[in-house]
Amino acid sequence: MKRKVLSVFLTAAMAVGMLAGCGSSASTASGSQSASTEAVTASSTETASVTSETSATAATGDTDPQMKKKIKILSIWAEDNDNGVLINQICNDYKKVNPNFDYEYEYVASDDLKQKIATLAASNDLPDVFVYESGKPIVDLINADQIVDISDVLKKYNCADYIEPSAESLLTTLSQTDDLYDLPLGLNIEGFWYNKALFQKAGVEVPSTWDEFDSALKKLKDAGIQPLACGGADKWGATRLINAYTVRTLGPDAMKKAADGDAKYTDAGYVAAAQKLQDWANAGYFGQGVTTVDMNTAGTMLMTGKAAMFYNGSWFTSNLNDTSANAAGADGIGFFNIPVQDESISGADSYSMNCGNILCLGKAKYDDATGWFVKYFVEHMGDTAMTVQGSVKGYTYTADTSKATGYTQLVLQEMAKAKSSFTWYEATMGSEVSTVAQENVQSLLNGDMSAQDYMKSIQDASDSQAE
Amino acid sequence: MKKVLGNKGAVAWFVLPALILYTAIVFVPIVWSFYYSLFSGSPGLKWKFCGMKNYFLLFKDKNFLDALIVNGKYIAIVMVGQVGLGLLLALMFMFWLKKCKSLVRTLVFFPVVLPTVAVGELFAKIYEIQPNYGLLNSVLDSLGFHNLVQAWLGQASTALGCLCFMDIWVAMGFYSVIFYGALLDIPYDIIEAAKIDGCSGFNLFRYVLSPLLKPITVVACVFSFSGTVKMFESATALTGGGPGNATKSLSMYMYEVAFSYNKVGYASVLALVIFLICIGGSSIIGLFDKSSKEDN
Repeated sequence: MKRKVLSVFLTAAMAVGMLAGCGSSASTASGSQSASTEAVTASSTETASVTSETSATAATGDTDPQMKKKIKILSIWAEDNDNGVLINQICNDYKKVNPNFDYEYEYVASDDLKQKIATLAASNDLPDVFVYESGKPIVDLINADQIVDISDVLKKYNCADYIEPSAESLLTTLSQTDDLYDLPLGLNIEGFWYNKALFQKAGVEVPSTWDEFDSALKKLKDAGIQPLACGGADKWGATRLINAYTVRTLGPDAMKKAADGDAKYTDAGYVAAAQKLQDWANAGYFGQGVTTVDMNTAGTMLMTGKAAMFYNGSWFTSNLNDTSANAAGADGIGFFNIPVQDESISGADSYSMNCGNILCLGKAKYDDATGWFVKYFVEHMGDTAMTVQGSVKGYTYTADTSKATGYTQLVLQEMAKAKSSFTWYEATMGSEVSTVAQENVQSLLNGDMSAQDYMKSIQDASDSQAE
Repeated sequence: MKKVLGNKGAVAWFVLPALILYTAIVFVPIVWSFYYSLFSGSPGLKWKFCGMKNYFLLFKDKNFLDALIVNGKYIAIVMVGQVGLGLLLALMFMFWLKKCKSLVRTLVFFPVVLPTVAVGELFAKIYEIQPNYGLLNSVLDSLGFHNLVQAWLGQASTALGCLCFMDIWVAMGFYSVIFYGALLDIPYDIIEAAKIDGCSGFNLFRYVLSPLLKPITVVACVFSFSGTVKMFESATALTGGGPGNATKSLSMYMYEVAFSYNKVGYASVLALVIFLICIGGSSIIGLFDKSSKEDN
């Protein structure tokens, strides 16, 4: 009997302990939840008071009315990294202009960005300013009427001239709108980087047409030099090459036509471009095992003289400027635009360009205070980026560029030549189609898949997405 | 004690906390997955009830079938490799190795404690072909097998094999320790008696050791099966699922569908398929255990 009592007692003690454990954790959870709710209420009342102030002083002159607001910025860069440095510097500078301004900087890993924005958009709680991706993702937000028409803002605050026209045309092409819905955070051109010493060794001139390019590849290969380095493991390095040929033979809107259903990915021209890539792979121009090489390694191969050419964007200059990595020296690597097939279809002054990640403004939280901040941002981003990082972000700048390194100068010169632009291979594709295009490009390079089958797999994915 | 365990009420009290916990962290998510699988889109974004549509999609989805086949091959090869080599190693520790026993055991067990990503990077270097030959290709090259030098991870025909080899290498130490423990548990007089009766070598293993090792073999198989059916991190670290889809497993496909295609509903269907495979596989392996108990 004693034992029975003891056992019941022990069981009871255990159960109570268990419940107590659960209880305490539950109370912490609810505690933190209520804290966050408080924060939300606080910020929303703050916004409300701001709006009332705003409507009272809705001024649109050139002097900042110093409105009170705390804006929230969602970014994929830490405060001490890349664009994070620039955004924070501009915010802090703006605080001097408008002491009533404050900001909260939130970091989210770039892989989680789309998911996070999707969730916030669904609850109509997008931040004042947030980093996003151009192309298909932003189109979805525009269609859902979640983000601010930035052209209107720029017009209202009289600062539209501070955006580079090439950046603007690029962004409007990507968002498929007449108006601008996002701000650029970079302006990159893409093309072929080449090792000058290897070109000289093989007696190859910089090619300007695809025929010249093909004969250059052959000449380099015959001279015992690997003609092309390509990051097949990162996949996009390979699809960019298909894109290069597609655009030059079918025109800059070829990929959009196929995405809109005005053309099929399986049409002869598209297949020919994929075939081109496979032909190069079969001829051994990429060396062995191209699908195991990542973009970084491919870049190193170019700089150390193991390959003669490498397709990449102007961001590659950061590697080139690194003297410990760049064995070719300060003038050892050159750049040329994608060769031309037919000037009337796509000319030599048309470059593959992109704006990297972009900034959007959440519509629900937008007011004049944000507008004035955007004005300051747009007017100062170009100079800040040039002085702090020596980089071009898609805004006009007056800062001195003569101190920039040779490679940065090279990019600036090429950019000045650009009259029009086109986008990358997957820009018009949804995530499923773009995954298929990228994954199967490895099979295309290996020869496991024919060019016909490759384009068919993209078309199939596109069809099933449309369903 | 018997009195306590004979009391159904007391037993219930003891079981209840664990049962509640188990229900909360295992059973509820399964039901939740099933509920999710009836929707299309992603929660909060185009989230719509679509009935059994996701299930019908499964039968038309070629990617699913490809991933299933890859996963099946992987389970078969890796399970046989891990358990088989683990057993061989244990026998080696027991009967063959005289010196440096603990040193060899430590070396064999060492890969188990290495992080998967580090192992993936290590093997990527071993299989490397561009810009420099990795260990494997340099050895082949220097031995004169020039035609065997190839992009081991860069072609569909060899990538899965290379991945399997890596995972077998990583885990065989773990299984060898399990089997070695079981071998030590076998009373030595049984082995001695068998030896006196003239049983040695393969026959000793076939008629004496293997029946005694059967329960532990079943356990090892269940371990290995449940480890391989969720194939994810090693493939992600070594090949990223490539080239093409050659090493993309069901879990990797499920992850892709959920987080890059934003189709949480369909991903839940895939999760349920993985769940069913787990249950099915484990119970098939369990059958062997049952039959061995009946033999006794």
